[in-house]
Amino acid sequence: MGGKVTCTLGEVKQRADFIVYWGGNPAECHPRHFTKYTIMQKSKFLPRGRKDRTMVLVDIRETKSAKAADIFLQVKPGKDFELITILRALIKDQHVGDEQIAETGMTRAGLDDLVHRMKSCKFGVFFFGMGLSMTRGKHMNSAALLTLAAEMNAFTKFVAMPMRGHGNVTGADVIMRWQTGYPFGITFNRGYPRYNPGEFSTVDVLVRGDCDAAFIIGADPGATMPQPAIDHLARIPTICLDPHVTHTSRLARVHITTAAQGISAPGTAYRMDELPLPLKPALKSPYPSDEEVVRRINEAIAKKPFWLPDGSQPQVVTAIG
Amino acid sequence: MLKITGGKVYDPANEINGQIKDLCIDDNGRFVESVSGGRTIDATGMIIFPGGVDVHTHVAGGAMNFARAMTPEDHRRTQAFIRTQSRRSGLGGMAPTTFATGYLYAGMGFTTVNEAAVPVLSARHTHEELADIPIVDKATLTLMANNEIMLDQMQAGEYERAKNVVAWYLWAAKSYGVKAVNPGGVAAWKWGSDAKQLNDPIAGYSSLTPGKIVTMLATICDDLQLPHPMHLHCNNLGAPGNISTTLDTLKHLEGHRAHIAHSQYHAYGGDDWDTMCSATSQLAEYFNTHPNITTDAGAVLFGDTVTITADGPWQHLLYKLTGRKWGNLDVENETGCGIVPYTYRPSNLVNAVQWASGLELMLLIKSPWQVFLSTDHPNGGCFWRYPEIIQLLMCADFRKECIAKLPDKIKNRITLPEIDREYTLYEVATSMSAGPARALGLHQKGNLGIGCDADLVIYEEEIDIARMFSHPRYVIKAGEIVIEDGDIRETPHGREFLVKPSYAPETDEFMRPLFEDCYTMQFDNYPVEIERIENPDVRILPGS
Ligand SMILES: [Zn+2]
Repeated sequence: MGGKVTCTLGEVKQRADFIVYWGGNPAECHPRHFTKYTIMQKSKFLPRGRKDRTMVLVDIRETKSAKAADIFLQVKPGKDFELITILRALIKDQHVGDEQIAETGMTRAGLDDLVHRMKSCKFGVFFFGMGLSMTRGKHMNSAALLTLAAEMNAFTKFVAMPMRGHGNVTGADVIMRWQTGYPFGITFNRGYPRYNPGEFSTVDVLVRGDCDAAFIIGADPGATMPQPAIDHLARIPTICLDPHVTHTSRLARVHITTAAQGISAPGTAYRMDELPLPLKPALKSPYPSDEEVVRRINEAIAKKPFWLPDGSQPQVVTAIG
Repeated sequence: MLKITGGKVYDPANEINGQIKDLCIDDNGRFVESVSGGRTIDATGMIIFPGGVDVHTHVAGGAMNFARAMTPEDHRRTQAFIRTQSRRSGLGGMAPTTFATGYLYAGMGFTTVNEAAVPVLSARHTHEELADIPIVDKATLTLMANNEIMLDQMQAGEYERAKNVVAWYLWAAKSYGVKAVNPGGVAAWKWGSDAKQLNDPIAGYSSLTPGKIVTMLATICDDLQLPHPMHLHCNNLGAPGNISTTLDTLKHLEGHRAHIAHSQYHAYGGDDWDTMCSATSQLAEYFNTHPNITTDAGAVLFGDTVTITADGPWQHLLYKLTGRKWGNLDVENETGCGIVPYTYRPSNLVNAVQWASGLELMLLIKSPWQVFLSTDHPNGGCFWRYPEIIQLLMCADFRKECIAKLPDKIKNRITLPEIDREYTLYEVATSMSAGPARALGLHQKGNLGIGCDADLVIYEEEIDIARMFSHPRYVIKAGEIVIEDGDIRETPHGREFLVKPSYAPETDEFMRPLFEDCYTMQFDNYPVEIERIENPDVRILPGS
């Protein structure tokens, strides 16, 4: 990650008078976003709620979210990066040609108006969704938008926040970071964490057939991953922890039914702004929680001889490549 | 049981200065008069210190984890801990991973650390990270000086209410004390502004000033009888000429206890970056005449690091000055934080002044019971570089060699060249252990007396001071040998210290509607459950 200027969702609820959704469809994908955190909320700083806030939607197509927006900007597919770059120039009063603007599907008047609004708001926020981060040049796009938000702070308060998918993806990301320094795409095959998405990501490891066992928790790769990865999962001993029967559980050698997090098992979920929320189960489950299963497996493994003979490895390595 | 014989003991809490003394430890991990049986360590010719206590560091929580995400290139080039049967893997560097943090601190003889900046909203996360930091005992401080619910009570002149609110938050966060960062300035930052003058009302408030917040919050900490006084990061951090702000802040603290965090960043003269100079003699003079106030150095070491602070506006300025990555995270109602990677260079005049200022404060403040070893990790440098600072404090000649490498223009901007003082081992033990333990109100720490926690470090005496302090022969935590000859032997779980202050029972119902107005989580889910704390050591405060 490069830089990132962000805040918790409560700050948006309290202060954001200018809200841009870029490449997302919150009305359908995050239906409570408007009412809980953004445009519909009244606050001590924005007592009239919706009337005190401006919402802009930038997307390649007119989704349901466009109806909720004050301004809808239809960007040409694949031109997000160009549009962000133009905005970065315009806020600094740098020259941008008409042709470059037209290529993105925008008009100069539209962009001048947008820039004026961005600069004159008190607290602006970009929410960027899959449409921005998962398309061509995805990494560049989100990095560019994060930079635009950072640069806007020369004029007014501005932040940016990714709209994460469902499940506790953020939680896994947060914990991997504090234990290994990296969010995902990590290998421990030299005894310490190394990071290389594209090489060590689960899907790459499976497709190459690099692993000889798999332990799946809180995910259903059997439903979402490319066929070669699924084939490899079926070939090797795959252990799956899941409250339900899933594509993965069907192809797994072992499926341990566990209690559903948040419904019948306690735990912590991390919200998209990385705030931890405790999950308090309403129901009891006859099944153990994921945590209990993992703990018991760990205890059993600890009784076995260690995989590396003592003294066969240095304790610490420095200047690693 | 363990007996350590023949070592030269430096135990400032008991005024023991290098005498040969045997130490006995029972099975509860405490010092006792005598033991029979168990292992004996022959420490003849070795030096014994109480385990180090870090009064101000940043090792866990949302901001640190944000910094880890921003510095993958550093993880790659740093030292890696390889997994063994008793030890988890991890990475060192500027923003070490949790397991590595415990190994690195213990490996340097430190056994207690105080995580100095926790927003209540993410306290649950911080405690979970702390549970993954092995060996050392821990405490946390809660960020309070920009909490809008509290500020509103202060603005309204409702002192009792404000006090109840603070006590309520401390218990909700399962915290050990109060941290104040740039009082009013972070709240103002939420509108993109800052608070630089102690007596100007802060953005969004009609009459509440940083000065009033400082005085009221210090009073609250005293009235709640917190074991550690208000821990204050003053307004106007890092700015040329900010000595006037700092001295003005100290005036607002007259008659109170307080700990001033990382004073190095608050002791500058000059009018701008071109004229910036050290003003540490003025600040040291204040400390020398006010024994009720303690501080930590916040010393700077040349090299790469990443800066992390709740001081959002300062980080925005640093981003503009460096043009490097900038991370910022504002936390609803409570606080903010900023993250900027940074390199301190001897050739940079501002950095050179900062480097000298940290050392000057440690040398000009006469009592090591008042000024403690810190780099405000990772802001001024990484904690695992503390031995380099000890060397600079103990060897005036080495200091002179380092000063000689600074740019010529540094002359007349710093006073370090005129200081000949050298720390004794007794003073080092005070500044890195006994002093911070006392300031934290952790009386069983930094003390080798009977009944205290058997946390200690044994060094082989060496000419090379930095080497000696970075490679202890033994480190013992709660009576257990955790480091021996440079190897990590055991990785026990530490404890977490927290306080239960008293507050009026109706505070819950007072807080609920205010909370629901500005937060985005359930009121009942907000307080951290005590069950989530690994090995809590709760101090019930008077009145509750
Ligand atoms: Zn700090």
